[in-house]
Amino acid sequence: MTALVTLEGVTFTYPGADRPALVDVSLELAAGDVLVVTGESGAGASTLLLVATGLAPRVVGGRLTGARRIEARRCGVVFARPWTQLTGLCPTVRDEIAFGPASQGLPREAVLAAAERAMERLHIAHLAGREPAQLSGGELQRVVVAAVLAVEPEVLGLDDPAAELDPEAADALYDLLPAIAAAGTAIVVATPDLERAARVATRAVALEAGRIVARGAPADVLGGTEVAGIARAAGCPPPFPLDVPALLRRVSR
Amino acid sequence: MIGYVPGHSLLHRAHPYTTLALAGALLLGAFALTRPLEVWLLVVAAAAFAVAGGVLRASARPALLLSLPIWVLLFVLHGLLGADPRMTVGPVSLSVPGIARALVLGGRLTAIVLGFLTALATASPHRLVEAMTAGGVPFGRTFLLASTLTVLPRMRERTTQILEAQQCRGLRLGGSPLARLRALVPLALPLVLGALAEVDEQVLALDARGAAGGVRRTALDPPRDSALQRALRWTLLALVVAAYAWKFWSMRG
Repeated sequence: MTALVTLEGVTFTYPGADRPALVDVSLELAAGDVLVVTGESGAGASTLLLVATGLAPRVVGGRLTGARRIEARRCGVVFARPWTQLTGLCPTVRDEIAFGPASQGLPREAVLAAAERAMERLHIAHLAGREPAQLSGGELQRVVVAAVLAVEPEVLGLDDPAAELDPEAADALYDLLPAIAAAGTAIVVATPDLERAARVATRAVALEAGRIVARGAPADVLGGTEVAGIARAAGCPPPFPLDVPALLRRVSR
Repeated sequence: MIGYVPGHSLLHRAHPYTTLALAGALLLGAFALTRPLEVWLLVVAAAAFAVAGGVLRASARPALLLSLPIWVLLFVLHGLLGADPRMTVGPVSLSVPGIARALVLGGRLTAIVLGFLTALATASPHRLVEAMTAGGVPFGRTFLLASTLTVLPRMRERTTQILEAQQCRGLRLGGSPLARLRALVPLALPLVLGALAEVDEQVLALDARGAAGGVRRTALDPPRDSALQRALRWTLLALVVAAYAWKFWSMRG
């Protein structure tokens, strides 16, 4: 499958920083991938997401060396705090979601159709007429995801997307990702939430001080999850199961 | 109340350019008029503007709060310390030209602030964006203007949140003016840093939704303009030009 994003030996330094935030990073992202990027705070997961979606250095500034190829025509990004991602100018959820397609200069009918499709995908059609400022954090984050999906990105970056959500809303958000990926989008998720990430990841990368220190199947890279720890303690051989159903299947064998 | 107040008044229904033209005419007119009576007629016009928007109470209170300290300062500076001839009011000797000057300056300030707050309360930022989008104005400029109109309510909301958080951690807001001034210090840093961080994230999020794409955006629901409103805007422009012509002609005479 053709890679939508290719990084080869990429090193990135923020403006004014004396150390690079990413060092010699190489990876590929293809349609259908759900790549989970993890690491301790400051390891470079969010930066990798910005580099992979083309926002760094184009918008944030800084210096990028190495080879980066972004074949995707459109990249979208969802950040942790939903309220900072709103235009602040749209009176309704429908207008907020239509903002992206309208920015592409599509005809009015196509813009509204794209907004309706995105709302249906996120099951938020009932919120269409509501004022964004009146929504809960979970509802708002779904609106933000719908607003990003409305521009039909080929690469979707999510930076700790459930940080501000309650457990139920966080589960619901992660549960959406496999379907979005299956529709042909490459997803990259930067998160410390390994339990949920493990449920949806097709691949994983662990970073330390900007360098990739582990990569591969989620079971190998994200072995530090609680479920994996229980499996390890129970004497299961690797790769360890990462979610409760997988653990039950292994135990029942 | 500073910021947009939803409603259905004449000004709410007017094209946002008409509302801004009225506020602009008040601003420019205030500097063109030089006699106390003329300036205070302009204040009456500003009050009529607020009445037409159904926001007299919402606009007049903050306008008074903002203007009052400056009125006091103007009367002290010009009324007490101004040039001769003087008049005696009880035990106080006041400068006649100084009082006239203070009335002109105070009136100008009141008309401008009242006009600006009324425009802020009645011109929906969303409708303004739609009007500018329909007019082909690039989103960057549209966003800059609309954000300026919404910055005060956003800052007020953020200030309330920070104050509540600080009060939970023992901040006392009462006491002497000096103590109140001191209480502002722990507010200022999180207010400024938080606003900068949010703007940073919003720029990335809007960029990822195509805001900076350079494509002419689609206006989904542009406000209706009319020949009458266009004529009103041209008339206001003509009046302002005439007022300045009168001012310079009077100065030469």
